[in-house]
Amino acid sequence: MPANTLDPNKWVDRYSDYLFNYTIVRVNDREVANDLISETYMAGLKSAKNFKGEASERTWLISILKRKIIDYYRRINSRKGKAEVKINYSDDYNEGEWLEEQVSDQFDKTAEDEMENNELGLAILDCLDSINEKHAEIFKRKTIDGADTEAICNEFNITPSNLWVIIHRARTALAACMEKNWF
Amino acid sequence: MSDKNKILFFDCSEAATCCDKAQYAEANFFEKIKLTIHLALCKTCRKFSARNTKLTGLIKDSNLETCPEEKKKEWRETIQKEYSEEKSS
Repeated sequence: MPANTLDPNKWVDRYSDYLFNYTIVRVNDREVANDLISETYMAGLKSAKNFKGEASERTWLISILKRKIIDYYRRINSRKGKAEVKINYSDDYNEGEWLEEQVSDQFDKTAEDEMENNELGLAILDCLDSINEKHAEIFKRKTIDGADTEAICNEFNITPSNLWVIIHRARTALAACMEKNWF
Repeated sequence: MSDKNKILFFDCSEAATCCDKAQYAEANFFEKIKLTIHLALCKTCRKFSARNTKLTGLIKDSNLETCPEEKKKEWRETIQKEYSEEKSS
């Protein structure tokens, strides 16, 4: 009996937000990210029988998603390649200027910071995995989507004081988890 | 946090709820004043409040997003359909 089994009917609820945040950092386009995720789910279904159960379900889906992201870049690059202009540095007129162009861009730093912040997002989602699924869902609606207390109460059929208790527990658990894993 | 630590008829669990509400800017004026007084006098809650605020900052920095619900619904349906076909074939 393998340690992990697949349960495709739960995939969307369990992993969509994680996959989405993972993809959005790498492709920076919501539409593309959504397409890649649905391709990933489909590919996952097709090769479900090849799943050996050695990795967790999510790791397995991420590894498929990685391939899809690489494929996506290959695809757009081959399209771009046709119109590409090769810059020739050896021409006399521009001599010396290439050095300046090669200097690292200071603004790159912010890009790196952003990457780190997006990893932070994945770490938060990781921590949310460890708390009750329903509570995590409510916490996400409230904190990430910024939904109204009243709207959430109607949606999940709970009272505001229920909501605050759930939020409180989620926040406490999350803070503890982040302290352990992030700092 | 127990009722033992009651400061001006306002115990720690109430303070915690106010603090949570304040993180979402949903604490009213009266609650904010009560919270401030409580925090001035209660070390445990000060610690909790600092941690809670830090968490809010982290979440804000992370630019987390959730998938649109309609997309999820679409995927759920396709997966269900494909999966049942796969199983029956």
